[in-house]
Amino acid sequence: MILTLFDKAGAGVLKATDTFGDFAVLAGRTFAAIFKRPFDGKNLLNQFQSVGVNSIPVVALTSLAVSMVFAVQLAYGFKQFQAEGLASQVEGLAIMRELAPVITGLMLSGRVGSAMAAELGTMQVTEQIDALECLATDPIHYLFVPRLLASMVMVPILTVVSVYIGYWGGYLILVGVEGQSAYVYGNEFYKLLAFRDLRIALYKAFVFGMIIALVGCWKGYRTQGGAEGVGNAPTSSVVTSSLWILISDFFLTKLLLV
Amino acid sequence: MAVIDVVNLSKAFGPKVVLSKVNLQVEEGESLVVLGGSGTGKTVLLRNIMGLLTPDSGHVAVEGKIIAQLSRDELFTVRQSIGMCFQMAALFDSMTVFENVAFGLRRHHKMSETEIRARVEECLSMVGMKETEKLKPAELSGGMKRRVGFARAIALKPKILLFDEPTTGLDPVMTDVIGRIILDLKHELGVTSITITHDLKSAFEIADRIALIFRGECIACEAPADFKVNPHPVIQQFLRGDADGPFLQDPPPPKRKIQEAHS
Repeated sequence: MILTLFDKAGAGVLKATDTFGDFAVLAGRTFAAIFKRPFDGKNLLNQFQSVGVNSIPVVALTSLAVSMVFAVQLAYGFKQFQAEGLASQVEGLAIMRELAPVITGLMLSGRVGSAMAAELGTMQVTEQIDALECLATDPIHYLFVPRLLASMVMVPILTVVSVYIGYWGGYLILVGVEGQSAYVYGNEFYKLLAFRDLRIALYKAFVFGMIIALVGCWKGYRTQGGAEGVGNAPTSSVVTSSLWILISDFFLTKLLLV
Repeated sequence: MAVIDVVNLSKAFGPKVVLSKVNLQVEEGESLVVLGGSGTGKTVLLRNIMGLLTPDSGHVAVEGKIIAQLSRDELFTVRQSIGMCFQMAALFDSMTVFENVAFGLRRHHKMSETEIRARVEECLSMVGMKETEKLKPAELSGGMKRRVGFARAIALKPKILLFDEPTTGLDPVMTDVIGRIILDLKHELGVTSITITHDLKSAFEIADRIALIFRGECIACEAPADFKVNPHPVIQQFLRGDADGPFLQDPPPPKRKIQEAHS
């Protein structure tokens, strides 16, 4: 009984180590392949389009919704202490430091990371990745690198878009509904913010971009088992990258605020 | 020196031994056809030659280079001289036929767009697929996909062509078309080739030598005329296409009389 438990625990640890090692090796190979030739500009531009431009509507809508809800909660909360003026300051701080990068990261892990896992998973089970190998093309260089670069660039840009939309979401509620002065809102929103906060948001978004692309590509590349495997890959990618985004957000916040 | 040299190649997946000490040599310009039942390791043999799988023991050498010992860059250099035609074509479904065939040329050759266009048209006309450049793989039939796969494989002017069951799932007429294309490619390009097939008619047309893999072992590798009269019971059963004999591990269902089966 005890031996069986140890067996199971040992097998679990070995499997987890194996999985993490596999991810680490593939991630390392991806970073090493960034500077390899040939450079495929068309492929990279397609990924910028797919990861960045096509994600603007979903990022804009979720940022607007979250910032509006947050403004409603802040207005209600601060009203209890007759401190309505603080709502716009806290709104600015929360959007810049947390909501914009995390919401953008989570939405993109759902929209982009899952698409990467599904696309690469389909390519894996239909032997298209083997075909790449047979055409003397490194799948890591051809498939992973453009997606990684596009995510590392576009997630920070989309985070800036999210901050901008978040500003107007708060404006709609605090100025439009709660009756604060537009001039005061404009000033107060940025009052607690420093350039460092934008830098923190961009650092976080950069790391989230890496997580989304690497996890999405890794899950797709390791797909096995036909249609079922292809079906599981996006789900697994979204769950894994979302978890890593939230966990890394905690550590990045602790690290960058010091 | 053999262009492809398979020496004591063994490969297992878990407890299942797929290839056991297989030895095969293919000379320059020779066409070898590999026969065998489903799941006997024929595709695994090709994947070992391409370096997509690593042997458990033994080795595969292509033009004297042992595949498993090459670095990634060296392996990619060797692969540029091998064209692989997959069983289900494995075309890149996000690309058009033209982009599929041009893929290797764009990656590995500094050719102008005009030169690439000319080479793609040449390859597509060799497989009878002109005027399909703008189509996507989803718009092609099974036979058309295989032919585009051939065109993609020959675009880089390889010295070696590997065909993995190129006629599986096709109607008899298209099977004959594919067989003729393989013959044409053999004569026009003079390449060394290994073809895996279940189609005996095209096998005897294409082959300079025929090998049979049975339960992971190569039990014969000889000229088609010799293969036909080889007394080995497994070979004779395979040639007859009969369920009764030593070929199957599990006994087949009993044979009924034709009238009884249709009543």
